[in-house]
Amino acid sequence: MRAGTLLRGVLTPIISIALVFLLWDLIIRGFAVETFVAPSPGETLDALRENWSTLWPLALETIRETVYGFLVGAALGFALAVVMAQLRILQGLIYPVLIVSQAVPIVAIAAPLVILLGFGIAPKIVIVAWIVFFPVAVNVLDGLANVDRDLLSLARAMGGSRRRVFLHIRLPATVSPLYTGLKIGATYAVTGAVIGELVASTGSSLAGFQRAANSSLDTPAVWAAMLLMTVIGISWFLLVVGLEYLTTPWKHRAARRRLRFGAANDPRS
Amino acid sequence: MTAGTPKLRVEGATKAFGENLALAPASLVLQPGEFVSLVGPSGCGKSTLFNIVSGLLAPDAGHVQLDGRDITGTAGNVGYMLQKDLLVPWRSVVDNITLGAALTRGVTKADRAQAVDFARRYGLGDFLEHYPHALSGGMRQRVALMRTLATNHDVLLLDEPFGALDSQTRLEMQQWLLQVWAETQRTVLFVTHDVDESIFLSDRVLVMSPRPGRIAAELVVDLPRPRTLELMTTPAFNDVKREIITLLHGRAAA
Repeated sequence: MRAGTLLRGVLTPIISIALVFLLWDLIIRGFAVETFVAPSPGETLDALRENWSTLWPLALETIRETVYGFLVGAALGFALAVVMAQLRILQGLIYPVLIVSQAVPIVAIAAPLVILLGFGIAPKIVIVAWIVFFPVAVNVLDGLANVDRDLLSLARAMGGSRRRVFLHIRLPATVSPLYTGLKIGATYAVTGAVIGELVASTGSSLAGFQRAANSSLDTPAVWAAMLLMTVIGISWFLLVVGLEYLTTPWKHRAARRRLRFGAANDPRS
Repeated sequence: MTAGTPKLRVEGATKAFGENLALAPASLVLQPGEFVSLVGPSGCGKSTLFNIVSGLLAPDAGHVQLDGRDITGTAGNVGYMLQKDLLVPWRSVVDNITLGAALTRGVTKADRAQAVDFARRYGLGDFLEHYPHALSGGMRQRVALMRTLATNHDVLLLDEPFGALDSQTRLEMQQWLLQVWAETQRTVLFVTHDVDESIFLSDRVLVMSPRPGRIAAELVVDLPRPRTLELMTTPAFNDVKREIITLLHGRAAA
């Protein structure tokens, strides 16, 4: 990574987030806001530290719901896109259902799902998957539909079989749109998990912890839970971004890392 | 193959799209190792004829023969290259060159060795593992031609392969193509609307005219080989050029 890229990619987001915390602190101090109304960043971090032994296992549970739901949703979305891309009639049948699924308010699905699936991890996984599969399906379908027609003609002129053209051209072409979908899904996945926890609140969840802290007017603990949820969401998103970077070297590298045939020169340098 | 059998023969190929006759009966013959260009304005049926020969398009009438064997409407018999390089962004230079093998039967060690050999021989030796985005336009077209060569077909169909390059690079690529052609002994059908390019490269130039698309005239380019850039300013070159321009424009005016 070049120095400029490093600066833009890592340093600027850190600076901007630090500025948000500074602004937060200034507002709390400047208006002398009472702690039980809204805590300062310092008070929130203190509450996070004090409740850490309680919060950490709950956070692990939220992470588990998020990851499982994300994987199920991503796999389902990808599979649906591939199926839809095969036949126009299938796309005509499935696509409206996808749209309708997203029109249902996610909060309103939670209650019926809990009734249907109980208070365990299942309804949370379904809610997260429900949120994640849509951007994945839509983007991958788009990717499959937008493979360069001339490239497909070339593949056909070369005598390529349908299966091999799919394997070597159409499928790899879905990688970029897949990551677009995954990144959108990743930012919402934690929201889905928390909604599930909120509706199926049995106390032993981040959302349950927050609700309990709220009713005992422990506002710093309420904010600490919120901060933790946010950190989980950001971490998951960054993990997906990192995975994209590692698995799509052709987007940011001039040459393949493993040089099997001797030295390589960058023609642009 | 008996002696005298042409490498490629197109006989009476016709194609209409709806009411519009894109290609009136067109016939052409390419001898083994010949370099023949098709020139003509847009809409003269060049691309239609090209797609019929490649097998991407089935003609309404007529047929295409390769070494005397009927290949009408079947793909995978000739090499094929377009103005767009159509390199696959996630494959390295070598992997792009072996694309044909990957799409038909799987890439073998021999395919890779051949790809590396082509790349080294024709100026891409330092870029074997590079991704296409890191290459210049001229180099990308070289890779595209290597990919076409690597399919090991005797006949190469090149549809304005240098049309998108700047004129300097284009001149370099033309000389380079002649070198590749001389060394690999392929038979080339080259589509262009650049008259200079067609003369510089070809043994024969077929002039096409539109509405309906047809082969209007044929011209033998009797200029010595190997050819260098100096040839382009000789009187002999200009004589051929004048003749082709008259065929292209004089006919339209008549």
